[in-house]
Amino acid sequence: VILGNYLASAALFCVGMYAVLTRRNLIKIVMGLSLMEASTYLLVISFAYRDRSTAPVLVSPPTGTSPERLARGNVADPVLQNLCLTAVVIGVAVTAVFLGVVVRVAQHYRTLDADRVRAMRG
Amino acid sequence: VSGDRDAVRGATEREPVHRPRVGLLITGSVGVVLAVCLARLPRGDNPLPPVARFAVEEALPRWHLTEAVNAVVYGFRGFDTFGETFLLLAAVVSVLMLTRSREGRRGWLGEEAAGRREQAETDPHSPPSRPERQARRAEQAEQAEDPGDAGDADPRATFGPETPDDVSLGAPMPETAESMTIVVRTAIRVVLPLLTVAGLYLVAWGYSPGGGFPAGAVLAGVGLLVYVGFGRRRIAPLARPGLLEFVELSGAAAIVVIELLGLVLKGSFTANWLPLAPAQTIRSGGVAQLFSVTELVEVGSGLLMVVFALLAARHDWSPDAGRDGARSGDTRGPRDVEGDGR
Repeated sequence: VILGNYLASAALFCVGMYAVLTRRNLIKIVMGLSLMEASTYLLVISFAYRDRSTAPVLVSPPTGTSPERLARGNVADPVLQNLCLTAVVIGVAVTAVFLGVVVRVAQHYRTLDADRVRAMRG
Repeated sequence: VSGDRDAVRGATEREPVHRPRVGLLITGSVGVVLAVCLARLPRGDNPLPPVARFAVEEALPRWHLTEAVNAVVYGFRGFDTFGETFLLLAAVVSVLMLTRSREGRRGWLGEEAAGRREQAETDPHSPPSRPERQARRAEQAEQAEDPGDAGDADPRATFGPETPDDVSLGAPMPETAESMTIVVRTAIRVVLPLLTVAGLYLVAWGYSPGGGFPAGAVLAGVGLLVYVGFGRRRIAPLARPGLLEFVELSGAAAIVVIELLGLVLKGSFTANWLPLAPAQTIRSGGVAQLFSVTELVEVGSGLLMVVFALLAARHDWSPDAGRDGARSGDTRGPRDVEGDGR
Protein backbone atom coordinates (compact mmCIF):
# COMPACT_ATOMS: atom_id res chain seq x y z
CA VAL A 1 0.00 0.00 0.00
CA ILE A 2 2.75 2.37 0.98
CA LEU A 3 4.44 1.79 -2.38
CA GLY A 4 1.58 3.74 -3.92
CA ASN A 5 2.55 6.70 -1.74
CA TYR A 6 6.17 6.44 -2.86
CA LEU A 7 5.22 6.34 -6.52
CA ALA A 8 2.70 9.15 -6.13
CA SER A 9 5.43 11.24 -4.56
CA ALA A 10 7.79 10.45 -7.45
CA ALA A 11 5.07 11.35 -9.95
CA LEU A 12 4.35 14.60 -8.15
CA PHE A 13 8.04 15.45 -8.18
CA CYS A 14 8.23 14.75 -11.92
CA VAL A 15 5.18 16.89 -12.67
CA GLY A 16 6.72 19.74 -10.72
CA MET A 17 10.07 19.34 -12.39
CA TYR A 18 8.52 19.23 -15.85
CA ALA A 19 6.70 22.46 -15.08
CA VAL A 20 9.89 24.12 -13.88
CA LEU A 21 11.82 22.97 -16.94
CA THR A 22 9.37 23.79 -19.69
CA ARG A 23 7.10 26.60 -18.52
CA ARG A 24 7.97 30.19 -19.26
CA ASN A 25 5.52 31.82 -16.90
CA LEU A 26 7.27 32.62 -13.63
CA ILE A 27 4.14 31.90 -11.59
CA LYS A 28 3.93 28.44 -13.11
CA ILE A 29 7.59 27.85 -12.30
CA VAL A 30 6.90 28.74 -8.67
CA MET A 31 3.92 26.38 -8.72
CA GLY A 32 6.17 23.63 -10.04
CA LEU A 33 8.64 24.22 -7.23
CA SER A 34 5.79 24.02 -4.74
CA LEU A 35 4.73 20.70 -6.26
CA MET A 36 8.27 19.38 -5.84
CA GLU A 37 8.23 20.48 -2.21
CA ALA A 38 4.86 18.79 -1.66
CA SER A 39 6.21 15.55 -3.09
CA THR A 40 8.95 15.50 -0.46
CA TYR A 41 6.36 16.02 2.29
CA LEU A 42 4.43 13.03 1.03
CA LEU A 43 7.56 10.92 0.80
CA VAL A 44 8.81 11.80 4.29
CA ILE A 45 5.42 11.18 5.87
CA SER A 46 5.21 7.85 4.06
CA PHE A 47 8.63 6.88 5.38
CA ALA A 48 7.39 7.55 8.90
CA TYR A 49 4.57 5.01 8.61
CA ARG A 50 4.92 1.44 9.82
CA ASP A 51 2.48 -1.35 9.12
CA ARG A 52 -0.66 -0.91 11.25
CA SER A 53 1.12 1.62 13.43
CA THR A 54 -0.59 4.27 15.53
CA ALA A 55 0.25 7.95 15.61
CA PRO A 56 3.08 8.80 18.03
CA VAL A 57 0.56 10.27 20.46
CA LEU A 58 0.37 8.71 23.89
CA VAL A 59 -2.56 10.70 25.23
CA SER A 60 -5.62 8.81 26.56
CA PRO A 61 -4.52 5.27 25.73
CA PRO A 62 -7.19 2.58 25.38
CA THR A 63 -8.24 0.90 28.60
CA GLY A 64 -5.83 -1.72 29.78
CA THR A 65 -2.71 -0.04 28.43
CA SER A 66 -0.54 2.79 29.65
CA PRO A 67 1.34 5.48 27.72
CA GLU A 68 4.59 3.72 28.48
CA ARG A 69 3.41 0.48 26.92
CA LEU A 70 2.01 2.41 23.98
CA ALA A 71 5.41 4.02 23.48
CA ARG A 72 7.09 0.63 23.22
CA GLY A 73 4.42 -0.62 20.83
CA ASN A 74 3.87 -0.05 17.16
CA VAL A 75 4.00 3.70 16.50
CA ALA A 76 4.93 5.84 13.52
CA ASP A 77 8.28 7.62 13.42
CA PRO A 78 7.98 11.01 15.18
CA VAL A 79 11.35 12.28 13.98
CA LEU A 80 10.32 12.12 10.33
CA GLN A 81 7.04 13.82 11.13
CA ASN A 82 9.03 16.58 12.80
CA LEU A 83 11.17 16.89 9.66
CA CYS A 84 8.02 17.22 7.58
CA LEU A 85 6.69 19.95 9.86
CA THR A 86 9.96 21.81 9.46
CA ALA A 87 9.87 21.35 5.70
CA VAL A 88 6.33 22.71 5.45
CA VAL A 89 7.24 25.91 7.25
CA ILE A 90 10.39 26.39 5.19
CA GLY A 91 8.41 25.67 2.03
CA VAL A 92 5.89 28.36 2.86
CA ALA A 93 8.64 30.87 3.59
CA VAL A 94 10.52 30.06 0.39
CA THR A 95 7.37 30.29 -1.71
CA ALA A 96 6.63 33.68 -0.20
CA VAL A 97 10.12 34.91 -1.13
CA PHE A 98 9.73 33.52 -4.66
CA LEU A 99 6.42 35.28 -5.12
CA GLY A 100 7.86 38.52 -3.83
CA VAL A 101 10.65 38.28 -6.39
CA VAL A 102 8.14 37.45 -9.12
CA VAL A 103 6.05 40.50 -8.25
CA ARG A 104 9.10 42.73 -8.53
CA VAL A 105 10.27 41.07 -11.76
CA ALA A 106 6.83 41.55 -13.27
CA GLN A 107 6.81 45.21 -12.29
CA HIS A 108 10.32 45.85 -13.50
CA TYR A 109 10.26 44.02 -16.82
CA ARG A 110 6.49 44.23 -17.37
CA THR A 111 6.36 40.58 -18.21
CA LEU A 112 6.05 37.24 -16.46
CA ASP A 113 7.82 35.46 -19.28
CA ALA A 114 11.11 34.07 -18.02
CA ASP A 115 12.60 34.24 -21.51
CA ARG A 116 12.23 37.99 -21.59
CA VAL A 117 13.98 38.60 -18.32
CA ARG A 118 17.44 38.64 -19.75
CA ALA A 119 19.38 41.32 -17.91
CA MET A 120 21.65 38.66 -16.43
CA ARG A 121 22.40 37.13 -19.81
CA GLY A 122 25.79 38.20 -21.16
CA VAL B 1 21.68 48.54 -28.58
CA SER B 2 18.29 48.55 -30.24
CA GLY B 3 19.39 46.20 -33.03
CA ASP B 4 20.60 43.74 -30.43
CA ARG B 5 17.29 44.09 -28.68
CA ASP B 6 15.35 43.36 -31.84
CA ALA B 7 17.36 40.23 -32.46
CA VAL B 8 16.74 39.11 -28.91
CA ARG B 9 13.05 39.73 -29.19
CA GLY B 10 12.78 37.90 -32.49
CA ALA B 11 14.51 34.90 -31.00
CA THR B 12 12.23 34.76 -28.01
CA GLU B 13 8.90 35.31 -29.72
CA ARG B 14 8.91 31.76 -31.00
CA GLU B 15 8.44 29.04 -28.44
CA PRO B 16 11.54 26.86 -28.71
CA VAL B 17 10.53 23.43 -29.94
CA HIS B 18 13.24 21.59 -28.13
CA ARG B 19 12.09 22.62 -24.70
CA PRO B 20 9.21 20.17 -24.10
CA ARG B 21 11.27 17.33 -25.57
CA VAL B 22 14.30 17.99 -23.40
CA GLY B 23 12.04 18.54 -20.41
CA LEU B 24 10.25 15.25 -21.02
CA LEU B 25 13.57 13.45 -21.42
CA ILE B 26 15.04 14.80 -18.19
CA THR B 27 11.82 14.39 -16.25
CA GLY B 28 11.29 10.89 -17.55
CA SER B 29 14.78 9.74 -16.64
CA VAL B 30 14.54 11.28 -13.19
CA GLY B 31 11.16 9.63 -12.77
CA VAL B 32 12.50 6.21 -13.74
CA VAL B 33 15.45 6.55 -11.36
CA LEU B 34 13.14 7.69 -8.56
CA ALA B 35 10.67 4.86 -9.17
CA VAL B 36 13.39 2.21 -9.24
CA CYS B 37 14.99 3.53 -6.06
CA LEU B 38 11.73 4.01 -4.19
CA ALA B 39 10.51 0.53 -5.13
CA ARG B 40 13.50 -0.99 -3.36
CA LEU B 41 12.91 0.89 -0.12
CA PRO B 42 11.34 -0.85 2.86
CA ARG B 43 7.56 -0.58 2.79
CA GLY B 44 6.62 -0.09 6.38
CA ASP B 45 7.81 -3.46 7.68
CA ASN B 46 11.19 -2.32 8.98
CA PRO B 47 11.64 -1.61 12.70
CA LEU B 48 11.71 1.94 13.95
CA PRO B 49 15.20 3.45 13.91
CA PRO B 50 16.77 3.82 17.37
CA VAL B 51 16.42 7.61 17.26
CA ALA B 52 12.67 7.41 16.76
CA ARG B 53 12.28 4.68 19.40
CA PHE B 54 14.25 6.81 21.84
CA ALA B 55 12.09 9.86 21.09
CA VAL B 56 8.84 7.97 21.60
CA GLU B 57 9.94 6.28 24.80
CA GLU B 58 11.64 9.27 26.38
CA ALA B 59 9.02 11.90 25.55
CA LEU B 60 6.98 11.06 28.63
CA PRO B 61 9.71 10.65 31.28
CA ARG B 62 11.89 13.48 30.05
CA TRP B 63 9.42 16.15 28.98
CA HIS B 64 6.16 14.88 30.49
CA LEU B 65 4.74 15.21 27.00
CA THR B 66 2.41 12.58 25.62
CA GLU B 67 2.90 13.89 22.10
CA ALA B 68 6.15 12.57 20.73
CA VAL B 69 6.21 14.90 17.72
CA ASN B 70 5.97 17.98 19.92
CA ALA B 71 8.63 16.56 22.20
CA VAL B 72 10.89 16.13 19.18
CA VAL B 73 10.14 19.52 17.63
CA TYR B 74 10.52 21.66 20.74
CA GLY B 75 12.54 19.34 22.94
CA PHE B 76 14.93 16.77 21.54
CA ARG B 77 15.53 18.59 18.28
CA GLY B 78 15.01 22.07 19.67
CA PHE B 79 18.19 23.34 18.09
CA ASP B 80 16.92 22.38 14.65
CA THR B 81 13.67 24.23 15.27
CA PHE B 82 15.67 27.16 16.58
CA GLY B 83 17.56 27.38 13.29
CA GLU B 84 14.36 26.98 11.34
CA THR B 85 12.79 29.86 13.25
CA PHE B 86 15.52 32.17 12.13
CA LEU B 87 15.33 30.88 8.59
CA LEU B 88 11.67 31.85 8.69
CA LEU B 89 12.64 35.24 10.08
CA ALA B 90 15.16 35.70 7.28
CA ALA B 91 12.51 34.85 4.71
CA VAL B 92 10.10 37.33 6.27
CA VAL B 93 12.75 40.03 6.22
CA SER B 94 13.56 39.39 2.57
CA VAL B 95 9.90 39.50 1.56
CA LEU B 96 9.54 42.78 3.42
CA MET B 97 12.61 44.17 1.70
CA LEU B 98 11.36 43.07 -1.70
CA THR B 99 7.86 44.41 -1.37
CA ARG B 100 8.50 47.55 0.60
CA SER B 101 7.07 50.45 -1.30
CA ARG B 102 8.13 54.04 -1.16
CA GLU B 103 7.54 55.26 2.33
CA GLY B 104 5.57 58.34 3.22
CA ARG B 105 7.74 61.37 3.69
CA ARG B 106 8.34 62.40 7.24
CA GLY B 107 9.91 65.77 6.60
CA TRP B 108 10.26 68.38 3.94
CA LEU B 109 13.49 68.12 2.04
CA GLY B 110 12.98 70.12 -1.13
CA GLU B 111 15.78 68.39 -2.96
CA GLU B 112 14.10 68.96 -6.30
CA ALA B 113 14.09 72.75 -5.94
CA ALA B 114 17.54 72.78 -4.36
CA GLY B 115 18.94 70.62 -7.16
CA ARG B 116 17.46 72.90 -9.81
CA ARG B 117 18.93 75.95 -8.14
CA GLU B 118 22.30 74.34 -7.78
CA GLN B 119 22.33 73.22 -11.37
CA ALA B 120 21.38 76.69 -12.52
CA GLU B 121 24.20 78.15 -10.44
CA THR B 122 26.97 75.82 -11.51
CA ASP B 123 26.32 75.12 -15.18
CA PRO B 124 23.41 76.96 -16.63
CA HIS B 125 24.31 76.38 -20.25
CA SER B 126 27.03 73.80 -20.39
CA PRO B 127 26.05 71.06 -22.83
CA PRO B 128 25.67 67.51 -21.53
CA SER B 129 28.72 65.34 -21.85
CA ARG B 130 28.96 62.64 -24.48
CA PRO B 131 28.06 59.61 -22.32
CA GLU B 132 25.14 61.54 -20.94
CA ARG B 133 23.86 62.31 -24.42
CA GLN B 134 24.25 58.68 -25.42
CA ALA B 135 22.41 57.50 -22.37
CA ARG B 136 19.56 59.90 -22.98
CA ARG B 137 19.27 58.87 -26.62
CA ALA B 138 19.15 55.20 -25.69
CA GLU B 139 16.63 55.97 -23.03
CA GLN B 140 14.36 57.84 -25.42
CA ALA B 141 14.63 55.08 -28.02
CA GLU B 142 13.61 52.62 -25.41
CA GLN B 143 10.68 54.71 -24.35
CA ALA B 144 9.49 55.16 -27.91
CA GLU B 145 9.70 51.48 -28.65
CA ASP B 146 6.48 50.32 -27.08
CA PRO B 147 4.36 53.18 -25.91
CA GLY B 148 1.31 51.04 -25.19
CA ASP B 149 3.24 48.85 -22.82
CA ALA B 150 3.51 51.24 -19.97
CA GLY B 151 0.19 50.78 -18.24
CA ASP B 152 -3.17 52.22 -19.11
CA ALA B 153 -3.99 54.48 -16.19
CA ASP B 154 -2.85 58.03 -15.79
CA PRO B 155 0.52 57.63 -14.13
CA ARG B 156 -0.02 60.62 -11.92
CA ALA B 157 -3.13 59.01 -10.45
CA THR B 158 -1.11 55.99 -9.42
CA PHE B 159 2.22 57.46 -8.61
CA GLY B 160 1.42 60.71 -6.95
CA PRO B 161 2.45 64.20 -7.84
CA GLU B 162 5.05 65.13 -10.38
CA THR B 163 7.97 66.03 -8.21
CA PRO B 164 8.81 64.59 -4.82
CA ASP B 165 8.47 68.03 -3.28
CA ASP B 166 4.74 67.99 -3.88
CA VAL B 167 4.04 64.84 -1.89
CA SER B 168 2.01 65.87 1.11
CA LEU B 169 3.34 64.82 4.45
CA GLY B 170 2.04 61.55 5.81
CA ALA B 171 -0.10 60.84 2.76
CA PRO B 172 -1.92 57.52 3.23
CA MET B 173 -1.69 54.66 0.79
CA PRO B 174 -4.67 54.28 -1.53
CA GLU B 175 -7.41 52.07 -0.21
CA THR B 176 -7.74 48.84 -2.14
CA ALA B 177 -9.75 46.24 -0.26
CA GLU B 178 -13.46 46.83 0.28
CA SER B 179 -15.54 44.88 2.73
CA MET B 180 -17.65 42.00 1.46
CA THR B 181 -21.40 41.35 1.65
CA ILE B 182 -23.27 40.98 4.90
CA VAL B 183 -23.59 37.23 4.39
CA VAL B 184 -19.85 36.78 4.30
CA ARG B 185 -19.31 39.20 7.15
CA THR B 186 -21.83 37.45 9.38
CA ALA B 187 -20.33 34.08 8.62
CA ILE B 188 -16.90 35.40 9.45
CA ARG B 189 -18.21 36.87 12.70
CA VAL B 190 -19.50 33.44 13.67
CA VAL B 191 -16.34 31.61 12.64
CA LEU B 192 -13.76 34.03 14.02
CA PRO B 193 -14.08 33.23 17.74
CA LEU B 194 -14.17 29.51 16.97
CA LEU B 195 -11.01 29.69 14.89
CA THR B 196 -9.24 31.85 17.45
CA VAL B 197 -10.08 29.42 20.24
CA ALA B 198 -9.03 26.51 18.03
CA GLY B 199 -5.66 28.13 17.38
CA LEU B 200 -5.06 28.85 21.03
CA TYR B 201 -6.18 25.35 21.94
CA LEU B 202 -3.67 23.87 19.50
CA VAL B 203 -0.80 25.63 21.22
CA ALA B 204 -2.00 25.48 24.82
CA TRP B 205 -2.82 21.77 24.94
CA GLY B 206 0.70 20.90 23.87
CA TYR B 207 0.49 17.30 25.06
CA SER B 208 -1.97 16.49 22.26
CA PRO B 209 -1.25 17.04 18.55
CA GLY B 210 -0.76 20.66 17.68
CA GLY B 211 1.96 23.07 18.66
CA GLY B 212 3.15 26.51 17.74
CA PHE B 213 3.46 26.12 13.98
CA PRO B 214 -0.09 25.04 13.12
CA ALA B 215 -1.51 27.34 15.78
CA GLY B 216 0.38 30.28 14.33
CA ALA B 217 -0.91 29.42 10.88
CA VAL B 218 -4.48 29.28 12.21
CA LEU B 219 -4.16 32.66 13.91
CA ALA B 220 -2.65 34.19 10.78
CA GLY B 221 -5.67 32.81 8.95
CA VAL B 222 -7.94 34.59 11.43
CA GLY B 223 -6.24 37.87 10.56
CA LEU B 224 -6.66 37.13 6.87
CA LEU B 225 -10.36 36.39 7.32
CA VAL B 226 -10.86 39.77 8.93
CA TYR B 227 -9.00 41.36 6.04
CA VAL B 228 -11.05 39.56 3.41
CA GLY B 229 -14.38 40.11 5.09
CA PHE B 230 -14.15 43.60 6.47
CA GLY B 231 -11.56 45.26 4.30
CA ARG B 232 -8.18 46.63 5.08
CA ARG B 233 -9.42 49.46 7.22
CA ARG B 234 -10.64 47.19 9.98
CA ILE B 235 -7.42 45.18 10.20
CA ALA B 236 -5.11 48.12 9.66
CA PRO B 237 -4.54 48.88 13.37
CA LEU B 238 -3.53 45.26 13.91
CA ALA B 239 -1.61 44.75 10.69
CA ARG B 240 0.48 47.87 10.67
CA PRO B 241 4.13 47.00 10.20
CA GLY B 242 5.34 48.78 13.31
CA LEU B 243 3.27 46.55 15.59
CA LEU B 244 3.77 43.28 13.72
CA GLU B 245 7.49 43.78 13.40
CA PHE B 246 7.74 44.44 17.12
CA VAL B 247 5.73 41.30 17.93
CA GLU B 248 7.75 39.19 15.53
CA LEU B 249 11.09 40.34 16.82
CA SER B 250 10.10 40.05 20.45
CA GLY B 251 9.02 36.47 19.74
CA ALA B 252 12.40 35.78 18.19
CA ALA B 253 14.17 37.42 21.13
CA ALA B 254 12.11 35.36 23.57
CA ILE B 255 13.14 32.17 21.76
CA VAL B 256 16.80 33.16 21.98
CA VAL B 257 16.48 33.95 25.68
CA ILE B 258 14.63 30.72 26.46
CA GLU B 259 17.16 28.55 24.70
CA LEU B 260 20.16 30.44 26.05
CA LEU B 261 18.84 30.10 29.60
CA GLY B 262 19.09 26.36 29.08
CA LEU B 263 22.77 26.83 28.29
CA VAL B 264 23.31 29.04 31.33
CA LEU B 265 21.27 27.10 33.89
CA LYS B 266 21.56 23.51 32.72
CA GLY B 267 24.73 23.53 30.68
CA SER B 268 23.30 22.75 27.28
CA PHE B 269 21.46 24.78 24.68
CA THR B 270 17.69 24.13 24.57
CA ALA B 271 17.85 22.17 27.84
CA ASN B 272 14.82 22.24 30.08
CA TRP B 273 15.20 24.61 33.01
CA LEU B 274 11.58 24.79 34.11
CA PRO B 275 10.04 22.43 36.65
CA LEU B 276 7.96 19.85 34.80
CA ALA B 277 4.27 19.82 35.62
CA PRO B 278 2.44 16.46 35.62
CA ALA B 279 1.78 14.96 32.21
CA GLN B 280 -1.37 15.92 30.32
CA THR B 281 -1.61 19.37 31.82
CA ILE B 282 -1.11 22.66 30.02
CA ARG B 283 2.32 23.30 31.50
CA SER B 284 3.56 19.76 31.18
CA GLY B 285 6.22 20.39 28.57
CA GLY B 286 8.41 22.79 30.51
CA VAL B 287 10.65 24.70 28.15
CA ALA B 288 9.22 22.82 25.16
CA GLN B 289 5.80 24.28 25.87
CA LEU B 290 7.23 27.78 26.29
CA PHE B 291 9.13 27.39 23.03
CA SER B 292 5.92 26.31 21.35
CA VAL B 293 4.08 29.43 22.51
CA THR B 294 6.84 31.77 21.37
CA GLU B 295 6.89 29.90 18.09
CA LEU B 296 3.19 30.64 17.76
CA VAL B 297 3.93 34.35 18.14
CA GLU B 298 6.77 34.13 15.65
CA VAL B 299 4.95 32.13 12.99
CA GLY B 300 1.63 33.92 13.33
CA SER B 301 3.05 37.42 13.09
CA GLY B 302 5.55 36.36 10.43
CA LEU B 303 2.90 34.90 8.15
CA LEU B 304 0.66 37.92 8.64
CA MET B 305 3.54 40.25 7.83
CA VAL B 306 4.42 38.35 4.68
CA VAL B 307 0.85 38.23 3.44
CA PHE B 308 0.19 41.88 4.12
CA ALA B 309 3.50 42.88 2.60
CA LEU B 310 2.61 41.00 -0.58
CA LEU B 311 -0.89 42.47 -0.58
CA ALA B 312 0.43 45.96 -0.14
CA ALA B 313 3.16 45.58 -2.76
CA ARG B 314 2.72 48.41 -5.18
CA HIS B 315 4.61 49.56 -8.19
CA ASP B 316 7.78 50.81 -6.69
CA TRP B 317 9.34 52.49 -9.67
CA SER B 318 8.26 55.59 -11.48
CA PRO B 319 6.29 55.10 -14.66
CA ASP B 320 8.05 55.50 -17.95
CA ALA B 321 8.29 59.26 -17.72
CA GLY B 322 8.31 61.45 -20.76
CA ARG B 323 6.46 59.09 -23.04
CA ASP B 324 3.76 61.71 -23.53
CA GLY B 325 6.35 64.42 -23.92
CA ALA B 326 5.39 66.03 -20.66
CA ARG B 327 8.87 65.71 -19.25
CA SER B 328 11.66 66.26 -21.66
CA GLY B 329 14.26 64.02 -20.11
CA ASP B 330 16.18 66.05 -17.57
CA THR B 331 14.38 64.68 -14.54
CA ARG B 332 14.21 60.94 -14.44
CA GLY B 333 12.68 58.59 -11.94
CA PRO B 334 14.54 56.00 -9.92
CA ARG B 335 13.65 53.36 -12.48
CA ASP B 336 16.42 54.61 -14.68
CA VAL B 337 18.90 54.40 -11.87
CA GLU B 338 17.91 50.83 -11.18
CA GLY B 339 17.67 50.04 -14.88
CA ASP B 340 18.44 46.68 -16.33
CA GLY B 341 22.16 47.17 -16.27
CA ARG B 342 22.93 47.29 -19.95
